[in-house]
Amino acid sequence: MTKIKKPELLAPAGDLERLKIAIIYGADAVYIGGPSLSLRANARNFTFDEIKEGVEFAHKYNAKVFVTINIILHNKEIKELKEYLKNIEKCNVDAIIVSDPAIIKMAKEYTNLEIHLSTQQSTMNIEACKFFKKEGVKRIVLARETTYEDIKAIRENVNIDIECFIHGAMCSGISGRCVLSNFLTNRDANRGGCSQICRWDFDLLDENKNKIKGDKDFTFCAKDLSMLKYIPEMIDLGITSFKIEGRMRSVYYIATVVNIYRKVIDEYCNNKENYKYNKEYEKVLRNCANRDAVVQFFHHENNVDCSYYNGRVEVSNQDFLGIVLDYNPKTKYATVEQRNYFKIGDEIEIFGPNIDMISQKINSIIDENGNNIEIVRHPKQIVQILTDQPVYKNNIIRKRLT
Amino acid sequence: MSKLVTIIKDEKQIEDLLEYSDAFIIGVKDLSVNMPIYFEMDEVKKINKKIKENNKELFISLNKNFHTNELPKLKEVLIEIESLNIAGILFYDIGIVNLKQELNLKTNLVWNQEHATTNFATANYWHEHNVNYMILSNEITLNEIEEIKENTNIELMVNILGYTPMFTSERKLISNYKEKFNLNNNNSKYYLHKENNIYHLIEDKNVTTMYSSGILNAYNEYLILKSKINYFILNSFEIDNEIFKKIIISIKNEQTSEEEINKLLVNTTKNFLHKETIYKVKKYDKD
Repeated sequence: MTKIKKPELLAPAGDLERLKIAIIYGADAVYIGGPSLSLRANARNFTFDEIKEGVEFAHKYNAKVFVTINIILHNKEIKELKEYLKNIEKCNVDAIIVSDPAIIKMAKEYTNLEIHLSTQQSTMNIEACKFFKKEGVKRIVLARETTYEDIKAIRENVNIDIECFIHGAMCSGISGRCVLSNFLTNRDANRGGCSQICRWDFDLLDENKNKIKGDKDFTFCAKDLSMLKYIPEMIDLGITSFKIEGRMRSVYYIATVVNIYRKVIDEYCNNKENYKYNKEYEKVLRNCANRDAVVQFFHHENNVDCSYYNGRVEVSNQDFLGIVLDYNPKTKYATVEQRNYFKIGDEIEIFGPNIDMISQKINSIIDENGNNIEIVRHPKQIVQILTDQPVYKNNIIRKRLT
Repeated sequence: MSKLVTIIKDEKQIEDLLEYSDAFIIGVKDLSVNMPIYFEMDEVKKINKKIKENNKELFISLNKNFHTNELPKLKEVLIEIESLNIAGILFYDIGIVNLKQELNLKTNLVWNQEHATTNFATANYWHEHNVNYMILSNEITLNEIEEIKENTNIELMVNILGYTPMFTSERKLISNYKEKFNLNNNNSKYYLHKENNIYHLIEDKNVTTMYSSGILNAYNEYLILKSKINYFILNSFEIDNEIFKKIIISIKNEQTSEEEINKLLVNTTKNFLHKETIYKVKKYDKD
């Protein structure tokens, strides 16, 4: 049985709740946005106090916290940068993720922060990696367009940590080379204001400016990325960190995706010879995101199958039914906070980092006043449900996947 | 005295504009993107000769993002360019900065990361790394341009005329659409249409690029900046050659006005010269 060094599993966290869930579900590290200067200006993000709390929590689990400071600077942001970097350092974070080289320089000058280079620099060759290594960058988040051959060449020629995306939404354009949001909605894509114009529909016109009529309108929209099938190949390449995209994603999404990739990494690294690809995992990931996900540039598969002609309507996920707050082994009832409507007779699955997935029917629900009820319809309503097997705090209840 | 720099779209244009344009920017096949035309190195050498004979400057754009398998060709071209004694190489990929150091090249570099050239601190960073010029982003304000000028010694280049590339992708987005819906029509040009705006959409072997609907006309700003900044860029992409020539002559001689130029072009714009972009639109309790 060959054991292999495991890569870091890196998860996004839009707030403290998601940070904790990501780590509990098996992330080795999380990346978060601070109070400003990050590319998700419209996510809730973290205050300095919340960063400190998140770091303390993560370190108890031997996990790391990276803070994104990955905007492209304009003059006015330069003034706040020095103080901001010092404040981030005081939070005891494990690294910062930056895109603008001026931030590298300032971080080196005024702090001892470890520096990771953001994917916004779209780095995919050994020469660029060599440059940033000399600049003191510890890790490079490679471009989403990076291929197997690029990664292999970098691993063989540059002694630098590399991080690659394994799952989540893809920019249609080269990161940093898209300002559609600026021009069409006056929101600065490279300072966190991206309004996702790539998901809009357009009319494609011919040379005479007549509409070329396909069954659906033209869009830039790309399907999500899923590297599930190629995780063993990526591990064998020696990639330092596997990154999941999605600081705006829900607790359910984070828990599900982290949980699946944790299993795949562990299964492969703990017993390479007997590793088998699990199709069930693919099904779970597909259901969780409600968006098609494919392999894209890794093996040059950036073809028509990566384009997403689904219109802008995306159904929000209703599978997430609730989160376990507590469990009473004597009564076998779990205290649950509701996230979506469920009722007696529903087929459910309960999963978490410390249990094998439980499949069961809901046979009994008790409300906060001790009354038996049939339906849980109120958001965040606290109820108790009878479970077939013991469950634990932070286990997640979802509809049974068909 | 400030210089006018033209991004050309055919070789003949060089001949036509030699008298009025002080410098030219050209692309190299498979090493440049978002250029109206790309040349083989043999052609580049001939163009350089012609430009030199007329005491004008040549800049070569190598502004692609490079995969590792493209590096051998890039190195070869960088070494070839070294003997041409040109004014500078435009780069997007930082690999070029490393290659300049490692190959001990002397040719000047022009930082041209399109949308990232937005502040003086990063300008100074690249200047300290032996980068000589910087083409300013089309997404900053006139005030920001002036502030950058006041705080850096890197040579600045400012776009004053032409369409702006807004989106560059490695994906073949037109081909994908046609394949998906079994559309067989081959067109010499494609456009996108949205809310009464028409955008040029170009797909070639390397990238798909979408351009702004409006043509930047920053003549008034040129008049304000010309005493402080040395290089002003005019992009001839999709502008009729005769009209372009007329415009560059009138700018050179300062015998025009913004309104006159507007009359010659369809749908002009100021981009963000007087309009700051925003990026935070939601507020939370803690804010």
